Amino acid sequence: MTSLIARFRGKQQTSQESYYTAGQFALIRSRFARKTSGVIAGWILGTLVLLGLFAPFFSPSDPSIRGADTSYQRGAPQIIKFKDENGFSWRPFTYTYSKPDSGFDLSSLAAGGSLDALDALTSSGALDASEQNRYEIDRNQRRYIQFFVEGWEYSVLSIESLDIDIRWNLHLFGVENGQIHLMGTDEDGKDVFSRTLHAIWVTISIAVVALIVKLLVSLLVGGVSGYFGGRVDAILMSFTEAVRVIPSIPVYLACAVMLAGLELTPTQRYFAIAVVIGALDFAALGRRLRTHILTERNQDYVLAAQLSGASTGRIIWRHLVPSFSSYIIVDTLINFPYVILAETSLSFLGLGLTEPVNSLGVLLQKAQDPDIQQNMVWQFFPVVVFVALIMAFVFVGDALRDAADPYSEQNK
Amino acid sequence: MITVANAGNNSRLLDIHNLGINFHTDEGLVRAVDKINLSIRPGEIMGLVGESGSGKSVTAKSIMRLTPGHAVIDAESQIELQHQNQTLDVLQLRNRDLNLVRGGRVSMIFQEPMASFAPAIRIGDQIVETMQIHLGLEREQARRKGIELFERVGIPFAAKRFDQYVFELSGGMRQRAMIAMALSTNPKLLIADEPTTALDVTIQAQVLDLMLELREQLGMAMLFITHDLGVISKIADNVTVMQKGQAVETGVAEQVLFHPRHPYTQKLLDALPHIDQLPPEPVEKPEPLVSIDKLAIRYPLAGSGMKRTEYFTAVSELSLKLPKGQIIGLVGESGSGKTSLGKSLLGAAPISSGRVNFHGDNPISFNHPKQIKRKALAKIAQLVFQDPYASLNPRMTVRDIIAEPLEAMKLTSSREETDQRVIDIARRCHIEISHLRRFPHAFSGGQRQRISIARALVCNPQFIVADEAVAALDVSIQAEILALLKQLKKELGITILFISHDLSVVANLCDHVCVMKQGQLIEQGSVRQIFTRPQQAYTRKLIGAIPLLEKRDAAANNIHQADAIPA
Amino acid sequence: MLLESLISFLADTWLLWILVGIRVTLFWQARRSQYFHYVLNRYMLALITLLLVSGIVFSLMEVLPGDCAEKIIAYKNTQGETITQADIDAERARLGLDKPMPVRWLNWVTDLTLNGDLGYSCAKRQSVNLALGDRFWMSFWFCVAGLAFAYLIAVPFGILSAYALNQPWKDRNPRHSTVKRSINSLGLAANKLLDLLLRMISYLGLALPNFLLALTIILFYVFAGESAPTGLFSDQWNNEPWFNDQGFQTGKLVDFMGHIWLPIFVIGWAATALQLQTVRALVVDESSKLYVEAARARGVSGTALWIRYPVRHSISPLFNSIGFDFQRVFNDLPIVALVIGLTDAAALLIEALAMTNDQELAAGILFLVALVVISMNFLTDTILAAVDPRVRNSVLGAGGH
Repeated sequence: MTSLIARFRGKQQTSQESYYTAGQFALIRSRFARKTSGVIAGWILGTLVLLGLFAPFFSPSDPSIRGADTSYQRGAPQIIKFKDENGFSWRPFTYTYSKPDSGFDLSSLAAGGSLDALDALTSSGALDASEQNRYEIDRNQRRYIQFFVEGWEYSVLSIESLDIDIRWNLHLFGVENGQIHLMGTDEDGKDVFSRTLHAIWVTISIAVVALIVKLLVSLLVGGVSGYFGGRVDAILMSFTEAVRVIPSIPVYLACAVMLAGLELTPTQRYFAIAVVIGALDFAALGRRLRTHILTERNQDYVLAAQLSGASTGRIIWRHLVPSFSSYIIVDTLINFPYVILAETSLSFLGLGLTEPVNSLGVLLQKAQDPDIQQNMVWQFFPVVVFVALIMAFVFVGDALRDAADPYSEQNK
Repeated sequence: MITVANAGNNSRLLDIHNLGINFHTDEGLVRAVDKINLSIRPGEIMGLVGESGSGKSVTAKSIMRLTPGHAVIDAESQIELQHQNQTLDVLQLRNRDLNLVRGGRVSMIFQEPMASFAPAIRIGDQIVETMQIHLGLEREQARRKGIELFERVGIPFAAKRFDQYVFELSGGMRQRAMIAMALSTNPKLLIADEPTTALDVTIQAQVLDLMLELREQLGMAMLFITHDLGVISKIADNVTVMQKGQAVETGVAEQVLFHPRHPYTQKLLDALPHIDQLPPEPVEKPEPLVSIDKLAIRYPLAGSGMKRTEYFTAVSELSLKLPKGQIIGLVGESGSGKTSLGKSLLGAAPISSGRVNFHGDNPISFNHPKQIKRKALAKIAQLVFQDPYASLNPRMTVRDIIAEPLEAMKLTSSREETDQRVIDIARRCHIEISHLRRFPHAFSGGQRQRISIARALVCNPQFIVADEAVAALDVSIQAEILALLKQLKKELGITILFISHDLSVVANLCDHVCVMKQGQLIEQGSVRQIFTRPQQAYTRKLIGAIPLLEKRDAAANNIHQADAIPA
Repeated sequence: MLLESLISFLADTWLLWILVGIRVTLFWQARRSQYFHYVLNRYMLALITLLLVSGIVFSLMEVLPGDCAEKIIAYKNTQGETITQADIDAERARLGLDKPMPVRWLNWVTDLTLNGDLGYSCAKRQSVNLALGDRFWMSFWFCVAGLAFAYLIAVPFGILSAYALNQPWKDRNPRHSTVKRSINSLGLAANKLLDLLLRMISYLGLALPNFLLALTIILFYVFAGESAPTGLFSDQWNNEPWFNDQGFQTGKLVDFMGHIWLPIFVIGWAATALQLQTVRALVVDESSKLYVEAARARGVSGTALWIRYPVRHSISPLFNSIGFDFQRVFNDLPIVALVIGLTDAAALLIEALAMTNDQELAAGILFLVALVVISMNFLTDTILAAVDPRVRNSVLGAGGH
C-alpha cells in the first residue's frame, strides 16, 4: 500500500524541509529545546520518573518491612568512599556498621522485673533516641559496591487477570555482605533511599490517574457545554462556577473521611483517592475548554471543514480535539504539582495513603515527627526529592507553555 | 501653496547608507535587508514599494531603531538624520538620546490604528503623553494643542473624541487620530507603514488627501510604505522599489511608474489590474445557475435591552440571478452585507427569510439553514476564504487539507484514488507535488490561497464563492491567483461569485458585476456597463475612489522632483 | 404590640430584606443605565451560584458519617443516661432529620436567607454563628494578608521575569567592540540568571509543602532554643487585654506581629508561584502587542513604557482573579493552622471534618468561604466594568455610544 505521495519524497531532507514538514508537536519540541532551564528541568524530571518507574531495579533493598535491615535500624546514611587510610580502591566501598554493645541487660528486666532495673536502664541514656542511632564503624571491614547484583526478587510485569507475573532479581548496585543504605534507614530499618524511589512512582501514578480522571470529566463538561451552548451551557457553567468557588482541599477531606468509613484494600483506596482528587478538579479546565471550543468553533478552518461536508464527529476529532491537545498537555503538566500537593496534604492529615504504603505524602508526613526532626535528619531525603520533583515539573511546565503556542512566530 | 522653503536646497533630511539587516531565526540566519541606500530631502514624499517579505517595514523601523530583538544591523550601515544643523547617526546614538528620533524628529503611523493605540488609555492621554515627553508642555496646553490637531485632521467633535477610547472610533477616524498623534510633536519625517491598506477605498482616498494636504501645510517629509502602486502614484514624489531586501530601483515617481528600468518593477506594474482593459459585452446571456429570491439576513444584536431583541440587517430582501459559467463580481464597502450574502449561499450564514435555488444537474433549494442537506450542497458549492492563514488547519498537512472534502464525503473508494485526485487538482492549481507533505506554516499567503482553492475544487463543484480571496495578497501574487481563477473557469466551466471591495480587481476578472450598499443590491450589469456607464452615484463614487496609476498634475510636484535622482 | 411584632418580624428576616432591597435598587437603576443592567445580571447570577453552592455543600456533608441525633444522644450518654435506638429515632424526629434531604436543605437555606442563620452545631452544642464568632474574620484576614504578601512578591518578580523573557541572550550588535559585546552579553546573561533565581525562590514556596515549611521554621526556633511563634500570642500576652490602665498595650501588638507573620508568610509564599506564573504570562502577552511598539516609536521608553503599557494593561485580568486566588489561599490555610496551632475558622474546619464529623459547622464554614469568593468576584466584575474601558466595551456590548 505505498501511497502515491510517498514517491515524491525528497531524497535528502534539508533542515528547512524538515521544518516545513514538522507537525505541531515537532515545532513545540524544537522551541522547547532552546529553553535551557526547561531542558535541564526536563532532564531532572526524566531521571526522577525513570528512577521511580524502575524503582525496584535501582533500589538496593526491598522497601517493605520484609526488606528491613534489623541490624541497622535508625541508621545514618552510609558514605561511599574511594580512599581512606587503608589505601585507595577503584571500586567504591562503605564500611560495616554494627550496633555497639548496648550495655544493659534486658534479661534482668525479664527475669526480675524489678523497677530498679528499669530505672537504671532509663537513666543510663541507652534509651535516648539519639543514643539509638549510634553505630560503630569498622573501618577495616570494607563493603565493596557491586554492580548488577542479584538481590531481592521483584515483579517486572504483573497482570493479574492474565496470570502473567514476570519476576526478576537483578539490581543496579548492592554490596557483598549485608545491605547498603545510601540515605540511612528509618526506625524499622527500612532503607530510606529505596522507599523514596518507590514513593516517587506511587505519587506520580496517583497524579496520573487523577489527571486522567480530571481530563475526562473536564472534556465532558467543557465539550458538552461548548458544543451545545445555549441552555445546557448556562446550566453546566453555573454548576461549574459553584464548584469552583468551594475550596477543594476541605472537599477532598470530606470525601476522604467518607472513604475512610468504607472497607477498602490499599489499592482500592489508592485509586479512590486519585479519582476523588481528579473528579472534583474539573471546574477550571472544563471552563477553559469550553471557551476554547467556543472560539475555535468559529475559526475559518472549522467552517471550511463544515463546508467540505464534514460531519460533526469528524470536525470534533480531526479539527477541534487536535486544536487543544497541546493546550491540554501543557495544562496537565502545570497541574501535576498541585495534584501531588493535594495527595500529600491528605496524607499529612492521615486521610490519604498511610503507612506502610510508600508515597511521598506518607514519607513527608513522617517529617513532622519531632524524633525524626532531631535525630534522623536523613529522613528528610524524600523532602529533597519531592522539592526537586515539583520544581522540575514547574520549570518544564513554564518552558512548555512558552513553547506551546505554535504560531506565535507569525506575530513577531 | 507649498511652503517647503528649502525645496531647492540640496540638503538631505535622512540618508541611509549600506543598510543591511540579518535576522537570527529558528531556520537560521536570514538576510532581511541587503545594502540599501535611501535618502529623503525635507518635504519630500518617498514611496517605498515592495511585496510582503521584501524588507520594507524593517527598513522603516530601523530608522527609529525599532528592529525586533533577533535582528542585527551590519556594522558598516549608517542612518544619518539631520537635527539642528548637525548630523546624527541613529545607529550610533546612545539609548537615552533615542528620543530625539523616536517621536521627536521622526513619527510613525502603523497599518492597524486599532492595535497601535493602547486600548485602556484614552486616545487624548496618549497624545498628551507624547507631547509632554517631547515638547515639555503643560498638560492643559498639550491638551489644547491635541484637540486643535484633531480638528485639523478632520475629526468631528474633536474635544469629545479626544477623551474617547480607540474602540469607540470608526476605522477612518482611528487612522486620523493616529495621524494627529504622529503630528503632535512636529516631526520632520513621518513614516507611514501601509496606513490605508485596512481602509475602504472611499476612506482611503480621504486619508491620502489629508496626508497630502498636511504635507503642504507643514512641509514635513514622508516615507510612505505600501504594496499598492496605485496609492504610490497618487502620493509619492519619488519611489524606491524593494525586492528580497534589495532596492532594485529608485527614482522620480513618474519615471519609475511609467518608464520602469528594472524587470521587477515592470512585473509589478504588469500585475496591476487595469481598469481600461475591460472585456467586451457578452453576446448571449447564459442560464442562471443560482437564483436568490428575496433573501434577508438579520443578526440579533447582543447586549440590547432584555425585552425585545433588536436586529442588525445584513441583507434585506435581495433577489439576484447568477449566470452559469461566469465570474460574478460582488462589490461594496465593509458592512455592505456582501460576505453575509456569499456565505448564506453555502448555508454558512443564517437566512431569515427568502430562498436560495441551485439549478443545474442536481437542483437544491433551501430557505433555512436547517433544511440544507450539507453534503449535497458541499458537492456543488464551495468557498474560498479571505484569510489564507486562518482557513487552513495548521495541524494538518497540505495533502490532508486538500483531501478533506473527498474524505469527509467519502467520494473516493480508496486512499490511492484520493491521492490521485489531490495530485491532479494540485497540478491544476500549480502546487508543487512535493509540497503536499508540508504543513501550512511552510507557505506564504499566495501559496496558501492556492491550497484553499485546490480544496474548494477537489470535489468538482459547479459553484464557488471567493470571499475577498485576493485581498490579503501582494499584487504579483494577486495577479497569479486571478489568472488561475480565470483559467479554472475556462477549463472546468465553474461559476464563481467573486466578493471584493477592490473594484480594479473586479474590472479585470469578472464578467458581471453587482454593487451592494447597506444590504441592498443597488446596481448590476456587465463589467463594461458598470465601469463605463454607472447609473448610481454610489457606484460612480466607488469607481472614482480607485487609486489608479495616474499621471498627476505635474506642476504640483515638479518642485520635489527637480533633482530627485541622486547625482 | 403591632409594632413589636413587626420589629421582631423584621429582626427575623433582616437579611432577606437587604437582599431584596439591593435587587430592587439595582432593578430601578437598570431601567436607565446599561451598566446597572449588567450589575443586576451579575447580582442575580451571584445569588444563583450561592444557592447552588449551598446545595453542593449541604449534600457533601451528607456523606460524613453520623448525624445530629446521634451526637446529642451520645452526649447524653456521657452524662450517664442509657439510650436505645428508639431514643435516637425520637431525637431524629424531633430535629426533623427524618425528613428527606431536599426538605432539610430548603429549611437550611430559608434560615440562611432570612437572617443569616447557619444552623446548629450538634457537636459543639451551640449555634454555628456563635461557634464561629470572630474566627471566620480571623481566617479571612489571614488569607487577605497572605494574598497581599503573594502579590507583593509575584507582581514585581513576574514583571521582571516577563522583561527578561523578552530580552535576547547575547548582544550581537556589530557596532559594539568585542569587549563591550561581551560585557553586555554578561549583563544579559545575568538578567536571565536573576530571573531564574527569582522564579526558583517563588516556586520553592509551591514545592515546599506548607506544613513542612511551617514545621521547619518552628524547628529552627527550637534549635535556637527560643519558643516558636505558634498561635497568635505568647503565653505572657495571651490573656492581657489590648487596653489597660496605661492605654494601648504596644507590647501586645509587638507580640502579635511576632506571631502573625508565620502563617502569612507560609501561605503567602505557597501562593506566590501561581501568581508569578499568571503575572508573567499576562505581561508577556501584553508586551508583544503592537501598541507597545507604537508607544516606543513615540519616544516612550524605559520604566514608563513598561508601567504604562504592558503592566497597566495586565492589571485588570489579575484583579479579576482575586476571588479565586482567595479561595486557593484558603485551601492551604487549614493545614497550616493545624501545624501552627491557630484557632481560626480554618482550624475549626479541619477539626469539624477530620475529627468531630461536625457537618453543620463544616458546611457553615465552606459556605462562608464560597460567599466571600462569590462576593469578591461580583465586586471585581462590577468594578472592572466601571473602570476598565475594555471590559466595559465587551460586557456592555455596543454600549460605547
